[in-house]
Amino acid sequence: MYRQADVVYLYDSSWQGFLCCVFEAFFRREEPFVICPARGFSPTLYESRFIDTDPEKADRVDRSIDEKLGPRARELVSLAFLNGSEGKELALLRFLRFAYPRGRRAPWFLGSEAVAPVLALEKAVTGEAHLLKGFLRFQEYDGLLAARITPKHYVLPLLRGHFCSRFPEENFLICDVTHRAVLLYRDHAASYLELEGEFQLPPVGEEEARLQRAWKRFYETLTIQARENPRCRMTHCPKRYWENMTELQHLV
Amino acid sequence: MELEEKLAILADSAKYDVACTSSGSDRGGQAGSIGNCQAPGCCHTFTADGRCVSLLKVLYTNICAYDCRYCVNRRSNDLPRAAFTPRELADLTIQFYRRNYIEGLFLSSAVLVSPDYTMEQMISALTLLREEYRFRGYIHAKAIPGSSPELVRRLGLLADRLSVNIELPSEASLGLLAPDKSRAAILRPMGQIAASATQNRQELALYRHAPRFAPAGQSTQMIVGATPESDRQILHLTQGLYRKYSLKRVFFSAYIPVVEDSRLPALYTPPPLLREHRLYQADWMLRYYHFSAEEILDEDCPNFDPYMDPKCHWALRHFDRFPVDVNRAGEEELLRVPGIGPRSARRILIARKNGALGLPELKRIGVVLKRAQYFLCCRGYSGSRSPRRELVARALLDPEAFNEGCEQLSLFSAPQVQQLAGQGVAPRLAGLQVKEEAVKCIARQM
Repeated sequence: MYRQADVVYLYDSSWQGFLCCVFEAFFRREEPFVICPARGFSPTLYESRFIDTDPEKADRVDRSIDEKLGPRARELVSLAFLNGSEGKELALLRFLRFAYPRGRRAPWFLGSEAVAPVLALEKAVTGEAHLLKGFLRFQEYDGLLAARITPKHYVLPLLRGHFCSRFPEENFLICDVTHRAVLLYRDHAASYLELEGEFQLPPVGEEEARLQRAWKRFYETLTIQARENPRCRMTHCPKRYWENMTELQHLV
Repeated sequence: MELEEKLAILADSAKYDVACTSSGSDRGGQAGSIGNCQAPGCCHTFTADGRCVSLLKVLYTNICAYDCRYCVNRRSNDLPRAAFTPRELADLTIQFYRRNYIEGLFLSSAVLVSPDYTMEQMISALTLLREEYRFRGYIHAKAIPGSSPELVRRLGLLADRLSVNIELPSEASLGLLAPDKSRAAILRPMGQIAASATQNRQELALYRHAPRFAPAGQSTQMIVGATPESDRQILHLTQGLYRKYSLKRVFFSAYIPVVEDSRLPALYTPPPLLREHRLYQADWMLRYYHFSAEEILDEDCPNFDPYMDPKCHWALRHFDRFPVDVNRAGEEELLRVPGIGPRSARRILIARKNGALGLPELKRIGVVLKRAQYFLCCRGYSGSRSPRRELVARALLDPEAFNEGCEQLSLFSAPQVQQLAGQGVAPRLAGLQVKEEAVKCIARQM
């Protein structure tokens, strides 16, 4: 059995760091009040404890996921960890605590209190990645395609495969402003970079501006006035994506 | 003419085509080419009327030799006209695609000179796109009724999805409104496409590099509300099309009056959007819920209930078949419960292997208990034995039909609500009033 502990776990917000928090919680047989990244943490009334990232401990937990819980649990946990909402760590810890005694069947307890929240975390991530595959907009600068996105979740790893397969002969970069990360695809190779300082897309050239005008014109032409339904548009294409979409920017 | 101008003219003429799906083809990228396809499809933006844009939907030309009464591009309509060249179209598609504006191209056309001539133009544009630009993205092409089978075959080898519009739900209506088109000329290419697809599947089984014929299948579209067919007739036709021609989708388009004509609804008649919505709901029941058209609508009630979706309506008429035991029922039975969809049905089947499910589990799985609670039983809940009829009716009524949560009159509200609002009652009040009446009426019927 584990006990409810009045303690806050702080970690370095990396996957390995999180695994060490899991190790700590299992080792001490306790469930912390909350687990959160050390950066940007403001002290609370609860005692806080910084959990050092120890590659050896992290590796032990990491391997146990594959060995004891199987591929679906691995996929579920790694996708859910990309979620940007607060409290994901605790949901994941509860899932793992539920999962180890049950083994490979664990992810299929779809209605369970421990599993459903993690499924929801995963769905939010894959859902946003799917939307961005459509809503992301490139602008061309002398043969380089550049895009700016502001997603809630860290979806770059999920966009990588899609866009690299789609544009094998192009050079492009996708800049995730929220998580300060850049995906760069150049000369048939993709890499991640860290973003430093502010990022705004520079103004575009003549030819690019002409194409953007044509696209906006096309977009506006498609609307059938007799069926206008702005609420329906907002349901399908939430407003938070508009600021980065060529045809909707001016409406924000 | 400036390209932007041309694009606007040809997009304006194409916008009444409903289909804009990019689903059904799965094709990875390849070095030296551009583009891929993902099976679920992908929406790239949404217009102000809430419709998805995933393809560059344009006509090759809107210069038409035909004079169909319901169509904006008919010969006798005074309209700016334009035509693309194959190079212009291919180039524009690639430029839009590179910027991730679109998932591919939807190419349709008015009948320029003759059906065969038009098809040849379309084929040359698509050949350029596929071969010279090495485009591997999605292409939806519309076969022109009356063109030769050889051209349809060539088009199918270039496109992912083909479609032939059936236009109107009956031969009589077609004769009245589209004198240049005949039912046979529409159904022949459809039959050919279905046969070629079957043959292609056999070829692919023998030799996996065989050229693929329209891998995403075919679809069609018909106009609803321009002619007097009942919902039942339309739904039977739809089911027939799915069974006989193995279509992937049938689209419905609420008729928007574009011309003053004694044979058509008057100008400024609001488009029957609620009816279109109900038809799509029934279409979903055919494709994903194992219903047949005969079960959904019969001769006694040939039209949909405006206040309730067809699945709830069916459940109310067959109240004796419920409650369904969630922990024992098969998938088909589960799918008949209002509030359980294909996804939650599948999840229930998986989850119950690990222990009996109760109400909290069902809620977490995603079942809509507001509706489902009257139709199921599970662990710790033996179903509501004698539910108050009014409560059931209230739970099942479709809020959209009553303008709920909306001060302005919604285009989707029921005809009764629109009528009351037309007489000067505030839309919200009109909705409430009609809803109370509907609740009582349904409670009496049960």
